[in-house]
Amino acid sequence: MSGWLFLFTVLYSAGLLFGMIFVVIMFSDLESDYINPIDFCNKLNSFVIPEYAAHGFLALLFLLFGQWTALLWNLPLLAWNINKVMNNAHMYDATEIFRSLPGHQKEAYFKIGFYSVSFFYYLYRMIAAFVADSEF
Amino acid sequence: MSAPADQLPPGWAAEWDATHQRYLFIETASGHTQWDPPAAGPVGLENAPTGSPPPVHHGKRRQYAAGQTQAYYSGDAAAADPTYAAQGAGLQAQPQQGQLFTPGLAVENQFAAQQQQGGQPSAGAGQPSYYAQGEPEYINGPAFNQQPQYGQPQAPVDALAGQFGQMGMGGQKQFQLYTTNLLTSPPEPRDLQRPPPEIRLPPNSCISPSPTANADPSYFRSTINAIPTTSSLLSKSKLPLALIITPYRSLNDGEEAVPLVSDAVIARCRRCRTYINPYVQFIDGGNRWRCCMCNMTNEVPQLFDWDQIRNQPGDRWARAELNQSCIEFVAPTEYMVRPPQPAVYVFLIDVSHTAVQSGMVATATRTILENLDRIPDEEGRTKVAIICYDVSLYFFSLPQGTTDSSMLVVSDIDDVFLPKPTDLLVNITESRASLEALLGRIGDMFQENSIIGSAMGPALQAGFKLMAPIGGKIIVLSSTLPSVGAGALKNREDPKILGTAKESGLLQAASPFYKTFAIECSRTQVSVDMFLFSASYQDVATLACLPHYTSGQTYYYPAFNAGRTEDAMKFAHEFGELLATPIMLEAVMRVRASRGLRMASFHGNFFVRSTDLLAMPAVPQDQSYAIEVQIEEAITTPFVVFQTAVLHTTCYGERRIRVITLALPTTTNLSEVFASADQVAIITFFANKAVERSLTHKLEDSRDYVFQKLVELLVSYKTSMTSSGAGASAQLAISDNLKMLPVLVLGLLKNVGIRQSAQIPPDIRAYSQALLTSLPSQLLIPYIYPTFYSLHNMPPEAGTIGEDGVVLPPSLPLTSERFERHGLFLIEDGQTIFLYVGRDAVPQLIQDVFDLPSYDVLRGGKTTLRPLENPFSQRVNAVVQKIREMRRGVYYPHLYIVKDDGEPPLRLWALSMLIQDRADVLPSYQQFISSLKDKVNGAGGTGY
Repeated sequence: MSGWLFLFTVLYSAGLLFGMIFVVIMFSDLESDYINPIDFCNKLNSFVIPEYAAHGFLALLFLLFGQWTALLWNLPLLAWNINKVMNNAHMYDATEIFRSLPGHQKEAYFKIGFYSVSFFYYLYRMIAAFVADSEF
Repeated sequence: MSAPADQLPPGWAAEWDATHQRYLFIETASGHTQWDPPAAGPVGLENAPTGSPPPVHHGKRRQYAAGQTQAYYSGDAAAADPTYAAQGAGLQAQPQQGQLFTPGLAVENQFAAQQQQGGQPSAGAGQPSYYAQGEPEYINGPAFNQQPQYGQPQAPVDALAGQFGQMGMGGQKQFQLYTTNLLTSPPEPRDLQRPPPEIRLPPNSCISPSPTANADPSYFRSTINAIPTTSSLLSKSKLPLALIITPYRSLNDGEEAVPLVSDAVIARCRRCRTYINPYVQFIDGGNRWRCCMCNMTNEVPQLFDWDQIRNQPGDRWARAELNQSCIEFVAPTEYMVRPPQPAVYVFLIDVSHTAVQSGMVATATRTILENLDRIPDEEGRTKVAIICYDVSLYFFSLPQGTTDSSMLVVSDIDDVFLPKPTDLLVNITESRASLEALLGRIGDMFQENSIIGSAMGPALQAGFKLMAPIGGKIIVLSSTLPSVGAGALKNREDPKILGTAKESGLLQAASPFYKTFAIECSRTQVSVDMFLFSASYQDVATLACLPHYTSGQTYYYPAFNAGRTEDAMKFAHEFGELLATPIMLEAVMRVRASRGLRMASFHGNFFVRSTDLLAMPAVPQDQSYAIEVQIEEAITTPFVVFQTAVLHTTCYGERRIRVITLALPTTTNLSEVFASADQVAIITFFANKAVERSLTHKLEDSRDYVFQKLVELLVSYKTSMTSSGAGASAQLAISDNLKMLPVLVLGLLKNVGIRQSAQIPPDIRAYSQALLTSLPSQLLIPYIYPTFYSLHNMPPEAGTIGEDGVVLPPSLPLTSERFERHGLFLIEDGQTIFLYVGRDAVPQLIQDVFDLPSYDVLRGGKTTLRPLENPFSQRVNAVVQKIREMRRGVYYPHLYIVKDDGEPPLRLWALSMLIQDRADVLPSYQQFISSLKDKVNGAGGTGY
């Protein structure tokens, strides 16, 4: 059972990873003036909540299936996201974007790292689970 | 890429078009343009028989070339035009001159060569020859043919060359660093009036001898006037590197207008798009120019040596862009996305009960009415609209040619629509009669209005809808907190959180509406000015977002009451001035700099549209912007150039580019960096930085930041410039040109905008922060470090008319030690004037100035000082008048009488301007300096 769960989460985190790569590409587009800050923020702001929700859903799955290690690994980011939403600081603000860009970029790189580590961890757990299944 | 300019038939010019990435070919005589390269044959045939200007131009052009680059054109030019060949020979007789000024190369040799050539009127050596003869057209003009011009008496020319040489020598002089001990030298207010450290460019870096070839500090100044070559040197000095730009400042009396280049010949670097300026080099005998920023070699436009107005050869050395730092170009169509827009003013007038009761509505409409003639409208194109609002919107239809106007009420404020497609936004000239009639009636119309509430957001949306196709200026006059519809705000003022870490939250925008709407405005070239009048909380911090991002300005009149003449006068004066000032519309600003320098962050009222492009829908006069500069790679050139370009439409319907060029020398020497630092620019930058930090962090952080910066600077100075090195020192050393910086920092820390206090209402703070980030240095310095005069014992010439208008008394240091119990003092910060009356003031003084029998009868508070029939009163009035008029900007300071034993709040307010005194928890100057000293010596606790 947990094998199938991790298969799902592997694909899921891969999707999140690509999402973050898209964000980083958008940042460099903005820096090299291929996109203006207004369009940039409109575009990215529509992805912020879906991304947070997707990550929240992942954490929820781990909670429901009782995968405590995986849940623990995801909790800090979940808390970070929730905190941002509570402070109303999760949206990209076009008026301040060039001032806050370095911070946003750092966050995006961190998330790329986080999702890729997650990806390999879930992959390992998936294989481990399937191997364990096949032994019986 | 080979420029097609060389292969062009005569009379044609090629210009690179950045938007289409191809050359645009222009027939210079007719102005005809085309994309395809012109064929040589037909054009030549066409022109030949008529003998029209183009061939002549061609000849003259070649003549210029022949004189300079015989080698390039060999016999060809001579054969083509024998007369000019002869002249060419004449020129050739002079020793052949090599390249022009190459500051990057051996400066000494160049300099020597320059001196030798000084006397020779060779076209290439622009500077000396220009100087020696002062005749604009001598190269191609009739004088050119006359031999005697060459045989000018050698002596005076040499003398001039010598003079010039001395001027050049100035550049090689080292900056002298004078160290001052802050502990023993108290601040001297007069030092603030000194000009910034001189800019000493290396010799021959400028091709123009004009004194205005480098930017005036009032337009463009840098925190350091000798740029360190590496970022490590800069960070070692701990000085901030920033530019303070006031591109559109008002002109002083008697100052000439910014020179205009109207022939549409705009030479720009092909690579970095820099505009040609006095710091480029001409090479190849003047056929090409080398960009001073990226070293790219560019073609000189053929029209550079052609006077299009008189249709005869012109003198390029007389062109304004090669002689002036601040110039304006008339922009051709490539610089327009649409034909120049007319100026549009939309007035949104709050007519709710409070607004009407305070008399704001009546004063505002009367002011508009009185200033209708002053609104810039030379072409008769300017449009206005008036929308009143309480909880509904009242539109006014103003048909042409009648005095009738009809009111249209829209009470659906959730989905704002325009009740009528036409006649709402009308031309001032055409609908003058109905406009005047309406403005006369609005006050009465809403006299009985008892509705409380404000639909400012919907009113903004309506005004925006009305003018969005054109763009322009929305002027909002509001007396209450917006309460209904989009952008409604809540009263979030909470006295409990004042002075705590949460206070900075009150300075941030409460509703996203004012940011998103600002972006929309910026997109459609709409700028918003806010006039706020409320006696209670109005959330200035949120409302000020709109002017902030749309390059407008916030004006705040707390507890406005037109019943007091002072209030009405102040508002009417400032509002009237605002209406009368010419504005720049549809502007974008970009600052370019030499290679290795990057504009890192921007502060001021605008919207940052891309990494280095600032969008400003309307540029008001006298607004200042600060830009932080980063040194990205080591600079190898002896001097660097910064260039601000503002592409804009004037309110008279002409597309123009204002270009301001600032050249600064570079240095590898730390002491030169210190000696060339400009304390006024530094504090202007710190003010911007502090306000930014108070919004992103906490108010306390912003104070710590500024204080820490000062400590770092002093530490760096002590370790590298004084003998004590890293050890403890009994002195607190700083270079002489920075000795006012500590007291300015103290003034900034004590400014209402960021002062540590639990008493300052957030509205007052937010307004003060808006001022701190937008005032030009001339206004900002008194706002941070007020001026203090003693009037009762002012010298006899003070208050009388001198050479530069009214003579002001000498300013005193800002400390109450200077108070005398029998005296009359004046303290002013450019926004308010206080007349401080000592309690033992003799009755004669009170009688002379206030026309009252004694001190006891005198009442404190806002007042108007009437000139009386005695010389002292007239002198005091002259001083007050001078203070109100001497600075830029629309501000008309209130005059308060403060009695020594009068009401405590007013007295404390006046005394809070004496920043060298101790007040509450804030340190006196002495305490501040000694805490600085402790910090610098590594001891001492936290805080200041």
